[in-house]
Amino acid sequence: MKTPLHLNLLKEEEHFSSSPVRLRVMMPTAAVFVALCSIAWFFLLVGKVHTQAHLNEKLKQAVASITPVYAAVLDSRAQEQEYRAMARQLGIYTNSRILFGESLSLIAARVPSCIQFTEMRIPQPTLADPAHPSAAPTNRFEQVFLRISGRTSGDHPSEAVNTLLAELRTPVFTNLLRSVSIPKGAFRQDNARSASNRDTLLFEITCECQPRRFE
Amino acid sequence: MVLQKREKKVLFAVRFRCEIGQGMGVSPFRHLTGQWHVFCLFNQTMKSAALKIKFTSQNKSFADVVGIEIGAALPQGIPAVRVCKREGKTELVAADFLKLPGELPQTPEGISAPPAWLLPRAFQAPHAALTLTSQLVFLRHASSANEETEENKKFPYRTVSRVLAQDLPPLSAGIPDFQAAWAAHLLPEGRPPTACSLQVSPAAAINTFIASPVFGSLSGTAVVLFVFPRYTAFAAFHDFRLVLYREHMVGYAHIRETVSDQMHVDQSLTDSILSDTLIDPTPMIEPLLRSLFRQIEISYDYLTRRRNCQTDNFFICGLPFSTTYWSALFSRMLNLTLKTFHPFEGLERAPRASVCDLSANESLLMTALGAARAVLEDEPT
Repeated sequence: MKTPLHLNLLKEEEHFSSSPVRLRVMMPTAAVFVALCSIAWFFLLVGKVHTQAHLNEKLKQAVASITPVYAAVLDSRAQEQEYRAMARQLGIYTNSRILFGESLSLIAARVPSCIQFTEMRIPQPTLADPAHPSAAPTNRFEQVFLRISGRTSGDHPSEAVNTLLAELRTPVFTNLLRSVSIPKGAFRQDNARSASNRDTLLFEITCECQPRRFE
Repeated sequence: MVLQKREKKVLFAVRFRCEIGQGMGVSPFRHLTGQWHVFCLFNQTMKSAALKIKFTSQNKSFADVVGIEIGAALPQGIPAVRVCKREGKTELVAADFLKLPGELPQTPEGISAPPAWLLPRAFQAPHAALTLTSQLVFLRHASSANEETEENKKFPYRTVSRVLAQDLPPLSAGIPDFQAAWAAHLLPEGRPPTACSLQVSPAAAINTFIASPVFGSLSGTAVVLFVFPRYTAFAAFHDFRLVLYREHMVGYAHIRETVSDQMHVDQSLTDSILSDTLIDPTPMIEPLLRSLFRQIEISYDYLTRRRNCQTDNFFICGLPFSTTYWSALFSRMLNLTLKTFHPFEGLERAPRASVCDLSANESLLMTALGAARAVLEDEPT
């Protein structure tokens, strides 16, 4: 059995690696690299925190400086909203306005000569809760009535009133009046006057107008 | 108390490690070896240390090694031989003399930073086996590896010893620590090759014979004379084991100087005279060789009488010239045949091998080859 006479006098620490990639070199290099990265990351973090703190301070100052302006803006916006609502409401009211003038001016020519109007009245709409009236109408529609009170005399007072009714029902007035009627008991003798005037009849005509549209 | 096998191993490992590591040549555990009861206690605490030694020892085999002889101071350059093992066969990849900077320091005071060697591509094996040739290195049988000598009184030594036979003192090798450290840092880390072994040149040269096919074919006892410039090493093998090693202070440089002085010719002409047969230099070299062979005869007698190793196999190697004159005188004096051993014989060449003229230079490349083969043939522990 051949056994070589290998008397090796090289120390363990003198056994070097021929590989260009050496753990002995790479490990400290990697450690230094990681340490440098950590330090860089730490400084970046510190810088970022400092920047954020500075920004935070600036933002706080900015917020403090614009708070009164902001409050003023909020007030102005609330006021603007209020005014806008008011303007809208006014617009609605403007739109809901029923123009009686033109139609009423046409009535004069169509009223028989024996009829005298004593009153033309548009009653206030009935409140749902009279104790607590609302600032604005709660319905989008509102019934509008025109009450005409008058007296008639002559030979044929009824016919004159009926003629008036018929006139009021003509298409000239249909744009304004939807229906025209004399409520029961509203055509009666005028008892309040003297006996000579006993042939005078009082009447009352209720005209249902086109509804007011709050739009 | 009889040492258990495992305990012996641990003791050897500890001693081996300490001897290598201490450098001063004095083991701190030396006093424990004679006191086994102390050692038993010590052994328990050293289990982890033994484990560490096992792990840190060279426990891998090498397949491609370049052997480099440092300190030979040859005009041709630094001998380097690269061998590799493929499919169980050892092949010669490259062998030449390299022009590399640096000179082995001879004193600790004269030491300078070792140059970083970059070997030619053909010699860039992954590992390098370095062998030191210096007057300060030694290989000898010693009663203790750490015995105080003239050398280690002057400066620290690295020593390692190997027990060859139970009835023989261990063979001890040593290198001055400053020379070893200088040589170990010649091949820098990070590029091939890097040193994996550092040997003394006579031990490296012995490996050329151990690894050769001639050695495998021998039976019984064989003696090899390794001729170096300043000494001749006598190595006797019995049953494939080195049983005796001696050095005799006559080398081929002495022969060369004698002839040169007596004939008043320069070295190159002397080499030519000793290689040719035009002039018979025997009268000039005989007195030197006679004293050498007388010493060889004494060693041969010791082998025959004291160790009962009768041998007829005598080999000589390492001679660059005048081999015929050595053989003739040896036959005349000892009545034995001295055969020439060629270290590169039987070594196959690898494809595209880069090899110089081996017939002219094999003796000079012998030590580098032996260092590489020692590493290549060494089984992992």
